[in-house]
Amino acid sequence: MTLPCVYLDYAATTPVDPRVAVRMAECLTQGGVFGNPGATSHDYGEAAGELVEAARAEVAAAVGAEPAEVIWTSGATEANNLAIFGIAHYYRDLGRHIVTVRTEHKAVLDPCRELERRGWRVTYLAPARDGVLDPHEVAAALKPDTVLVSVMHVNNEIGVIQDIAAIAALCAQAGNARLHVDAAQSVGKCALNFAALGIDLLSLSAHKAYGPKGVGALVVSRRRGVQLQPLLYGGGQERALRSGTVATHQVVGMGAAFSLARSAAQYETERIALLQDRLWHGLVSMGGVLRNGDGARAVPHLLNVSFEGVEGESLLAAIRPHVAVSTGSACTSVHQEPSYVLRALGRDERLAESSLRFSLGRFSSEADVDAAVSAVASAVERLRRIGGT
Amino acid sequence: MKYNELTRRYFESAACAGMLAGSGILRGAAGSRAQGTWVQFDVRVNSNTRRTIEAVRFLAFACPHVIAVAAWLAEQAVGQELNGQLPQSVQCLSERFGVPVEKLGRLLLVEDAWNAATTAGGGH
Repeated sequence: MTLPCVYLDYAATTPVDPRVAVRMAECLTQGGVFGNPGATSHDYGEAAGELVEAARAEVAAAVGAEPAEVIWTSGATEANNLAIFGIAHYYRDLGRHIVTVRTEHKAVLDPCRELERRGWRVTYLAPARDGVLDPHEVAAALKPDTVLVSVMHVNNEIGVIQDIAAIAALCAQAGNARLHVDAAQSVGKCALNFAALGIDLLSLSAHKAYGPKGVGALVVSRRRGVQLQPLLYGGGQERALRSGTVATHQVVGMGAAFSLARSAAQYETERIALLQDRLWHGLVSMGGVLRNGDGARAVPHLLNVSFEGVEGESLLAAIRPHVAVSTGSACTSVHQEPSYVLRALGRDERLAESSLRFSLGRFSSEADVDAAVSAVASAVERLRRIGGT
Repeated sequence: MKYNELTRRYFESAACAGMLAGSGILRGAAGSRAQGTWVQFDVRVNSNTRRTIEAVRFLAFACPHVIAVAAWLAEQAVGQELNGQLPQSVQCLSERFGVPVEKLGRLLLVEDAWNAATTAGGGH
């Protein structure tokens, strides 16, 4: 398969790092560590169990947690669901109020909406136009019966980093409110320390950090005594919080990916910041280009821009052969829905539709950036001419 | 969104995009950019017969389907008689270009723009 266009959609997913793939392959076949990590009655299982625990330690080290706090899941979506439903149901007698933000990922918003249908109350906070949530908004929303506050660390569309430390301090003062943080986009991109920040629950994803798809983790604070009601029963794996045979090759891949991310974070972030600067200056030079989100408060890997005078679906169609990026629209079978994140920031429908999310990664190069700028500039100029703008 | 080959070809070429200059140009538009679809046609007819279409140009702030249909119409209409109707019906155009039924309203805007240009009789 030949895919000639430039890939700048690392926030959607990353390719598995070849070093990670090697580690994973060692856990698959007869000559490798293929045993069931829960089968401790023989060496096959024990060897697999050791790899699983080593991976758990690698993931924990990457986010400043204790290994015993890491619960494997199938990804960040499951981790978010386990955190939200798990807290809501376990602490239902303490209260049924949840606080979250309008710009959260659907994997947080949809569970919250489901809890609303089941009788919980949810407060959806609005960030400022730059995407940053004022912690005072959280403070104002906390009630005596608030059992959960869910705020993402790095926004998946605009890259803005929220002030988790301030929000955690407010939750700690509130008594019953546990803080859940969706950090699917954070690892390897910005500093994140679970213990130091005072987070209760942290959702992680492997495939956003050069690990495999299909694996993630929920970090659950032991020091803070957080309890959860499980989503899955049957086997009692993962401290009985997530039953099911642990997929050794997947968690080994996640551990290896997080270990690499931890060691390479500073170098990669500095390199990618230069690439993003090159990308932004290339795009903004064409005029009528607006940045979405506060660039000074965002990870360098992600740049979200709207193009004035261009229709969104046509923009995507025009650049698609040349560059792979995400749009500010959720494309359904017949039409585009403007991004609810950009709409929450106050962008009008047309600008939300004509936005593109460029996300850079480990394998991005200056040549990729230059090719993307050229393709987008050509498409925007042509569509503006056709549109008479 | 998937597009058929004809849509892709006319969206990518959009050979008749632009405006016509000079007197006696018929111009009509429909829709609005704020609503997401706007189309304008400029039509020049033979100065002697005042019936035969000699050139058409279009502008469109619109999705690829609408741009492709407008571009195709601008090309196909040349040489035809000015009779106030699209060279093909909206239904035929939607089938030819594989336009989803939910987008038919956008093709009606193309028809409105064409009618505005060719039946209003107003020169530009």
